[in-house]
This record gives sequence, C-alpha cells and structure tokens, in this order.
Amino acid sequence: MIRLESVSYAYPHTGKPALTNLSLSIGKGQCVMITGPSGSGKTTLCLASAGILAHEYGGKKEGTVTIDGRDVKSYKDLSDIASNLGIVFDDPEAQLIFTTVEEEILSALERRGLRVDEIEDRLRVIMEMTKLTALKDRAPHTLSGGQKQRLVLAVTLALETGILILDEPTSELDEHGTNGILEILKGLKAQGRTILIVEHKFLRMREIVDTLVVMEDGRIRASGAPDEVIRDQGMQKIVMPDFSGIRERNRGDGVTGIPSPLIRVHGLSHTYGEDIHALFDIDLTISSGEFIAIVGENGSGKTTLIKHFNGLLKATGGSVSVSGKDAAKTTITELARDVGLVFQNPDHMFFADTVREEVAFGVDNLGIPDRDVVIDHALTRVRLTHAKDLYPRWLSRGERQRLAIACVLAMKPAVIALDEPTTGLDGKEAREVMEVLKELQLAGHTVIIVTHSKEIARDCADRVITMENGKIISDILTPGERP
Amino acid sequence: MTEILQYVQKDGFFHRLAPLTKILFVIIVGTMSIVSTSITFLVSVIIALLVIAFIAGLHREVLRQFLLIAVMSVILIFITVITLPGGTTLFVIGGIIPITTGGLLIGIIMTLRFAVLITAIQLFVLSTQPRDLVHTLERMKVPADYTLMFVIALRFIPTLQIEGHRIHEAQLARGYNPGSGVGGKIRSVAPVMIPLVSNSLARSNVLGLTIDLRGYRTKVRTPLRERHLKGLDYFVIVMLVLVGVAFFVFDAYAAGLI
Repeated sequence: MIRLESVSYAYPHTGKPALTNLSLSIGKGQCVMITGPSGSGKTTLCLASAGILAHEYGGKKEGTVTIDGRDVKSYKDLSDIASNLGIVFDDPEAQLIFTTVEEEILSALERRGLRVDEIEDRLRVIMEMTKLTALKDRAPHTLSGGQKQRLVLAVTLALETGILILDEPTSELDEHGTNGILEILKGLKAQGRTILIVEHKFLRMREIVDTLVVMEDGRIRASGAPDEVIRDQGMQKIVMPDFSGIRERNRGDGVTGIPSPLIRVHGLSHTYGEDIHALFDIDLTISSGEFIAIVGENGSGKTTLIKHFNGLLKATGGSVSVSGKDAAKTTITELARDVGLVFQNPDHMFFADTVREEVAFGVDNLGIPDRDVVIDHALTRVRLTHAKDLYPRWLSRGERQRLAIACVLAMKPAVIALDEPTTGLDGKEAREVMEVLKELQLAGHTVIIVTHSKEIARDCADRVITMENGKIISDILTPGERP
Repeated sequence: MTEILQYVQKDGFFHRLAPLTKILFVIIVGTMSIVSTSITFLVSVIIALLVIAFIAGLHREVLRQFLLIAVMSVILIFITVITLPGGTTLFVIGGIIPITTGGLLIGIIMTLRFAVLITAIQLFVLSTQPRDLVHTLERMKVPADYTLMFVIALRFIPTLQIEGHRIHEAQLARGYNPGSGVGGKIRSVAPVMIPLVSNSLARSNVLGLTIDLRGYRTKVRTPLRERHLKGLDYFVIVMLVLVGVAFFVFDAYAAGLI
C-alpha cells in the first residue's frame, strides 16, 4: 500500500539529512510500528509516507514514494491523497479546529461528497467506535488527553481511508488512555486497514504489530518480525525500556547523614474553583535523600500535589511545610530554592538563544554564587556539555528533557520534582534520564517523579506512592529483595 | 479560568437564529452605535442587548465581560479627558490637567459604543457554531482562507490562555519574579511570550496540514444540518431593518437634513 524507495530528505533550514536512503514497503492490512530515539526521523518518515513532504515541503528530496501503487507526486494535492490515506499528527491540540466534538467530526465528513444520510450514519458509527457519543457537545479544549487523542483519531477515521498513519498517539496517555487507543486500533486492524504507527510502547502494542522498524539517524537500523528484531541486544534496549539495576546502584555509599524530614504535608486538600476537588486530606512526609515515584491515572491529583511543594498552588485546606517554612506564607521564588519543579513539556520553558543561557536564567534569578561553575556542573550532570552553545529548540526531545532538568538542577534545590520525565522518549533515552536522576539522588538530592510507568516506579524508586481520586491509596517502600 | 468568546451549547432563541440573521444584527446594531452621539440612545441599546442576552440565556457569560468593559472605560475616559479638552472646565487637577465637560462627554460616548459593540459581537459568537459560520460566509462568497482565519483565531483563545498559564508557572518555578503591575507585565514578555509564540508557530504548521487534509480547499460540501432562514429569522430581520430605518430617519431629522 505504501512503498518508499531510496528516500533521502533534508529540511531546508538545517540542511542536515533527516532521512538517508530509506526503503520500506508496507503491505495491505499490515501494521508496522516505527520506533527509535527522538530526532531519528520518525515523524519525517510519516510525512514522507503521506506524500506531505512531496507536496508541502521544500528541501532536498530524493527517491520515490508510492501510495496505492501511484507516485505521490501524481496526486493532485493533499485532499486528493486524503481520500486514500489518513494521518494523525503527534499534537492533538493543533488538529482540533472547531468548538464541539460532533462539529469536529462533521467538518471532515461533509467535504467528501457524501449523501446526508450517509454522513449521519458514519458520524454515529465513528462516535460509538471511539466512545465519544456522550461527549458530543463538549469543547475540544476541555477534553482529557486521552479523549482528545480519540477525537483526532475519530476525525481521521471519518475519512474512511484504507491507510492510517499515527504519530505517537499514546505518548502522553496513561494506561487507561493507551488501552482506549489500542482497542480502536485492534478493531481497525480486524477491518483490514493498513496501519503505520510511531510508538514507544512496544510491549503494549505487541499484539497488533506485524513488522517492527527501528530507526536511528534517519536510517532504518532494523526491520522485521518483532521477535526477530528484539533478539538483537542493542535493538532490545531501544524497543523495550529496561530500568533494572538503577535503584540498587551504589546504594548506601553516596548518601551521608541521617535522613531528615524536608517536606511535611498535613491534612492537605485542594479544590479548584468551587466544586472540583482535586486533593482530599493528604498526609505525607518526605525526607532528604529519598527517591519517590508518585503513580496513578490521569486526573488522580499527582501533579496538583507536587505543585504544592513549590507554592504554585496554595492549599485550600490543611498545610504544607518545606524545610520548616510554611508554604502558604512563602513566595514561589523563595520556595524555588528548596524545591525545583520540572514540567512535563520542556518546551514550556525554553526562550533563550543558547543552552547555557537557558540554564543561567534560573541561576541568575536566585543569585546563586559561582554562576559559571554551577552552570557547567549542571550541564555535565545531564550529559549536555557538547550542546552548550546550541539553540535549545533544535535539540532532540530526549536532550530537551535533560536540559529542563539542568535548568532546575543549577538552582541547587534540595528537592527535584519531575512531572512525567520520560514522555516521548525511547527505551534508551528514558533509561538515560532515570540514570541522571539516580545520580542526583546519590549526590544528596531528594528526587520525586510523577509517572505512568510501573516499570520506572518498580526499578528506580525507593518509595512508591499511589494516588487515586485525590487520595493516597498506598505508600510503600520498595522492598530491596532484588539482588 | 474564565473563557473569552467561546461558543456555548444552549437552546436559547439566539442560538436558533440563522448565522446570517445574526451577522445582520451585529452590522445594524454596530453601525447605529457608531453613528449615534446620544448617550440616552446608546444606554438604551445596551439595556436592550442585556434583555436579549437574558432571554437568550447568555446573561451570565455576557455580564462576566462587564468587568473588562468597566476597566477599559476608566482608561478610555481618562485618556479622552486629558487629550480632548472642550466645553466648560469643571475643575483642574494639579494645576495642569483641566477636566472638561466636552472631554468627559466624548469619553463616555466612546465607552458606550465599545460596550455595545463588544456585547453585540459576544452575543453573536457565543451562540453561533463556527461550522455554521464557515458555511454562511462561504455562501456569501467570503474566501475560505479568511473565514478559517477568523474561526481559528477564536478557537485558539482558550488554548493560548491555558498554555500561557502553564509557561508562566514553569518560569515561576525557575525563581522568576517579574513583579506585579505594568512593569512586571513588560518584564515577563520574553520568558512567557517567546515560548508561547514558538510553540504556536510549530503548531500552525500541523494546523495548516490538517485543514488541507480535511479538504477545506475543495469546493465540495454536503449541505448538512443547514441553517436556513426560518420564521423567527424573518421576524428578527424585519424588526432590525425597521429599527435601523427609523434610527437613520430620526438621526437625519435631528441633524436637520430632512
């Protein structure tokens, strides 16, 4: 259905090859999963396969791409291609144009020259399939991440194309949201659709994947039946995240002194607006040198809880104290000296021209002495010294995540809290981030991570706190029974 | 976070009107308020709009904007009073700035005009689904690019609000303290606006592709759930035209033209 022959491509502004001599053939009804490090050309491959590179982009292009046996260049324009192929990009927000769920799906249906009754029929079927019927009058920006992703998928399904291309549809979703997407994909595969999916969650998608492709530096490193591909040790590291051994590393050597309580949470409640209860009566003590994972579904209150540690949110009931200071009475700038918070999307903070200046921002804000030494030290810690003069937004997602950590680390907080630090990273990159965090713990920091990943919680953290509906339902020290 | 200018799903009488009727409504009410210099007339238009909002079940959303209008009027009146003196001087501030009846009058009229325009446009946007608006403008032969530009500008207001808030939080967590007031706002431009604009630009690329892939440049469209003019529309249009004609006749008469 899709065929790429010796495709090479370089984006006009960088000139650096994004794809190099790449060939790939996807048969009818096949499900091909593409994985690999961030910045390896996965999204570019999607754009090439959909004919978007050929029609909408400048830059150096070589090789041929065919869809349904026809050269992509012979299609009139994108809407001509869209009658054979549907593509879902990785940012759902940018693909939702209208103000209600139903309107959004209709906007795709009405441009196909269908009859009115056909449209109403398809609308009903698609909303049922993607479980959006109950949400049909909701505004897209009020939906959860999983619901948005299902809606974007629904709009693409409305086009009823034989081929579907999905770019990281589950990267920001929790287990529940990922299951929702997986169920839909299973149904589509059963209908005989051809699916090209960029994903990091191989283990979850395994049952539908026929061919696994691993990319690196714009080339295909491995391609074939999943079991054969992961037989290679190097490939396995990229495809299947493995965090084993991180928790046990150097246990007991680095940490000096007796742990003392740093953060005390007492009877904490938080209510957004008048009636959205996000946290109920939380009691928690976090001591120096701990490595804590907070797990739970989307909307269970994890992010709301950690935002209280640096004063971004103030308790609506109960109290939070950080290093003996009452968080309600201390300014955010003051608390930033004790607690550094790294948000889920690193792009929400970058504005400087170079990586070094970016790190310097927080250091200067707090007036930390030995500025240059501190900045270099932070960049070394996160393994980014080679990139210090680059423009932050040119880095790969994995590097940007580590830069975000450096920005906070350079401010020398006792506690570093991170919201989903492995979003959008492959197995190897995710492990790198977790290793950096472990080293920070060994250097005396307290590390708190919010994560969806059970593997990370099990293999990296010393203590796992599980939240549900704004309450802590379990708080256990990870037993050290593993050798 | 309060949302600005977003469609609200309701079943009020204003929602049931066809978009064309509502466009006409905005044009006629807008023109009248711009032409008129009578405080009594402008105040009665505002009261009429509020009554309409109440009947249409949109009074909560519309009234929420009155705080914004109030803040804006204070600034507007202040500026006109100091820049456009005229009429009799009431008193002088600090021996330099004269407060005149002329300045006050112009300030108040300008404020009332803005209030009418904002309220009328708001009634329109709150009660019209962007899809219907796109169709209507398409039938009026407005090019698709302009229509979509307008619709998308409205649609992304809340997204930018949410994103701006997140970026602000991320910078606060980096010990950033721009201070409050106007100075703080100016200082916070780079750390908040640069990520906001960069992220939006990255997003606009995907948005453009999405519009093309959905076939918005093809002229094909199934006439689905069309909003044709109905009895209520004709009634409202006739009323609007009558009010409009009466207003202009009266205005011309008052100006001594007839």
